[in-house]
Amino acid sequence: MSPRWRRFKRGPDDTLVVSLAPEEMALLRGLPSELRAVFDAPSSDAAAARLFPRAYLDPTEEEAEAEYEALIQPDLLRQRLDALELVTASFAGAVAAGEWMEIALTPDDVAAWLGVLNDTRLVLGTRLGITEDQRRIDDDDPNLAAYAIYDWLTYLQGELVEHLLG
Amino acid sequence: MTTAPVEIREPELGEETTADRPWMVIVWNDPVNLMSYVVFVFQKLFGYSRKKATKLMRQVHEEGRAAVSDGTREKCEADVARLHAHGLWATMEHDT
Repeated sequence: MSPRWRRFKRGPDDTLVVSLAPEEMALLRGLPSELRAVFDAPSSDAAAARLFPRAYLDPTEEEAEAEYEALIQPDLLRQRLDALELVTASFAGAVAAGEWMEIALTPDDVAAWLGVLNDTRLVLGTRLGITEDQRRIDDDDPNLAAYAIYDWLTYLQGELVEHLLG
Repeated sequence: MTTAPVEIREPELGEETTADRPWMVIVWNDPVNLMSYVVFVFQKLFGYSRKKATKLMRQVHEEGRAAVSDGTREKCEADVARLHAHGLWATMEHDT
């Protein structure tokens, strides 16, 4: 009997091996450039605002908020750009395993993947107006493909988190 | 194996007041972040047990918000920044 197929499995040297179908990998490869475009968007963009939210809601703390945005948000942007670099670089290590592609991810890669998956879902979720309610989508909805991508990324991130929680 | 002797000191009444912990960090409910991911982030950032992290996640989900940490302005800003880096919707406010 062959062992049960798993999306994520432990690899050598503290790596986590992810198995992807070629079309899944093609989808993931496109995420860093899409996120980069959101990072470049003005803060009036709802998706950009969701990735870089305010620290203070109290209007009497505007000075502290301005300081947070000037001093801390550039750091958060740098961390996100570093994660994009790591994710992009990790695709170079993909090897064919039968009909699947496998990538061995270091712990830093895993953290970067988790961030990029979550950020992409935040952007898509904001653009699609995702709510917690059950959604009904018509077959001719122009966002049908975007919903499908969102749901697949949700599934993938869920699998990754389950693995990390053990 | 042994444990080091521990000096027990009774805290004096009012020794630690809210003045020492004037700020608190709030995480707000949002429809995108996975419940499991929120638990993972609370454990990773704050070192909370699975049980405590899950309880806070549930509170966020059911009540719309939960206070996840407190302390000085500097400490809370750092906590908010780490939560923002992980995509959680966090703000800070005065502890009342």
